[in-house]
Amino acid sequence: MLASKASAARSISRIARSYATAIDTAGLKVAAVDPSQPTAAVTVVVKAGSRYETKPGVAHALKNFAFKSTAKRTALGTIRESELYGGVLSASHSREHLALTAEFLRGDEEFFVDVLTSFITSGKFTRHEFEEYVQPVVESESHAATSDPSTHAIEVAHALAFRSGLGSSLFASPHSSITASDIKSYAASAFSKGNIAVIGSGIDQSSLAKLVEKALASASTSSAPTTTASSYFGGETRLEAHSGAQTVFVGFGAAGAPTPELATLAAHLSTQSSVKWSKGLSPIAASIPHGSSVQSVYLPYSDATLFGYLIQSSTPSGVTEAGKIAIKALKDATSAGGLKADDIKRAVAKAKFAAASAVDSREGLAALVGSKILSGSEASLDATFASLDKVNGAGVSKLASSLIASKPTYVAIGDVRALPYADELGL
Amino acid sequence: MFGPLGPSLAPQIRASRSLTKWLKPFATWYANLAGYRQLGFKYDDLLVEERPDVQRALSRLTPQQGYDRIFRIKRASQASVVHKPLPKDQWIKPEEDIRYLKPHVVEVAKEDSERQAWDHIVVAKK
Repeated sequence: MLASKASAARSISRIARSYATAIDTAGLKVAAVDPSQPTAAVTVVVKAGSRYETKPGVAHALKNFAFKSTAKRTALGTIRESELYGGVLSASHSREHLALTAEFLRGDEEFFVDVLTSFITSGKFTRHEFEEYVQPVVESESHAATSDPSTHAIEVAHALAFRSGLGSSLFASPHSSITASDIKSYAASAFSKGNIAVIGSGIDQSSLAKLVEKALASASTSSAPTTTASSYFGGETRLEAHSGAQTVFVGFGAAGAPTPELATLAAHLSTQSSVKWSKGLSPIAASIPHGSSVQSVYLPYSDATLFGYLIQSSTPSGVTEAGKIAIKALKDATSAGGLKADDIKRAVAKAKFAAASAVDSREGLAALVGSKILSGSEASLDATFASLDKVNGAGVSKLASSLIASKPTYVAIGDVRALPYADELGL
Repeated sequence: MFGPLGPSLAPQIRASRSLTKWLKPFATWYANLAGYRQLGFKYDDLLVEERPDVQRALSRLTPQQGYDRIFRIKRASQASVVHKPLPKDQWIKPEEDIRYLKPHVVEVAKEDSERQAWDHIVVAKK
């Protein structure tokens, strides 16, 4: 068993290492890995997430504009031709990156790289496509995000915690005044050569590099949109909602690169059990009232981290009770005696597994590698594991006490008259 | 088949300099004689709009173009009610009479024919 564990660790680091050889061809960053899967995929990661946007919601609209008409083919032609090849096209965006992905059978890379790159170099961004296809999807996605209390709480928490930059919402507001020309100018600045990373899986690196280099030769080299370095502010807000669970987000932020101590603390406080249908050994899960849930939220970004609890229940009193227990668990972690050596060991192992399983999926791998090579650092799990191995109890409790001392980010969504205030939870 | 959206020789005539020179006076004379400008219409206001493709093209006008079009139609209806052309200062001048709708109609028609082509495509093995 030990041997198999060791070999698994080796193969993970091998994947990470083979990915880390991102080559820089003509100002473009190209990386490829062969996970020996029957399908192949190419992801174009662009630094064009919502933190770079020039007008609120423009990054969200740009994501939905993906695979619409270009100089080479129309939106319909893109879809029908991809269907003939049996490929799947998808686009996603985060606060930092926009990712355009094509998954296809091995051997069809020439066509799909062309689909992806022609959007980068020659997207038309027509007004009628925006009004007929893009805007309805943007509106419905925004509506879905606002009606889900947990997503909404985290969006609002980002705005409170970081204000501008990382604070700008992932979703366009339902009544935004974005126009097709706004998106076009945002795309023109974002799709510049230094801002793009191409990650292939199941493709030979040199052939991918050759295809990408040829296709993106005409990409602009203009300056990319910039953002200011994040700083943490915090604050409190309460929003009335008439449907969905009673929700409270209590969070703490930290500016600067994500630390392994925070990842460990998040893993320690996570209520997710390792065995299905069990409550696990988490200090919170065993004591919260029935019908309420506490999830630890750990969102690392390139220059800041948001960490906190998402507390949900069907009743406001359930939220209060569960919130008190969750805050108590965090306070317990501030004293060195509150964290036993076993707890730290367990939390480190959990954090390692979370880091490793995040790159298990294709999207996770592309997102991680994309962000790493765009920021110029080495993409490997070895470094993450090594830094987690150095975590000790004193470091974690020092971090926890500094978090408790800082101003919390507090969002309550639901019945605002009955939901607790931050001080009522013991902050 | 015939009408503003039907086949036309105009592009060929416009391509030839001498033909344009010869036929332009007749075209101008005919456009003025037709009398739509005296009712405050542009030529594209006369396109048959009871067709799905033209309806789609109309939805692609900018809001300003759409309001102006409705205004011209209302003004012309009033002129028709009183059986009089508009006062001369409200006539559409030849330089104002631009094809604001036709490019959209052509684009919609192109999209429709592309959809047709994809719907009936025969895939052959290479």
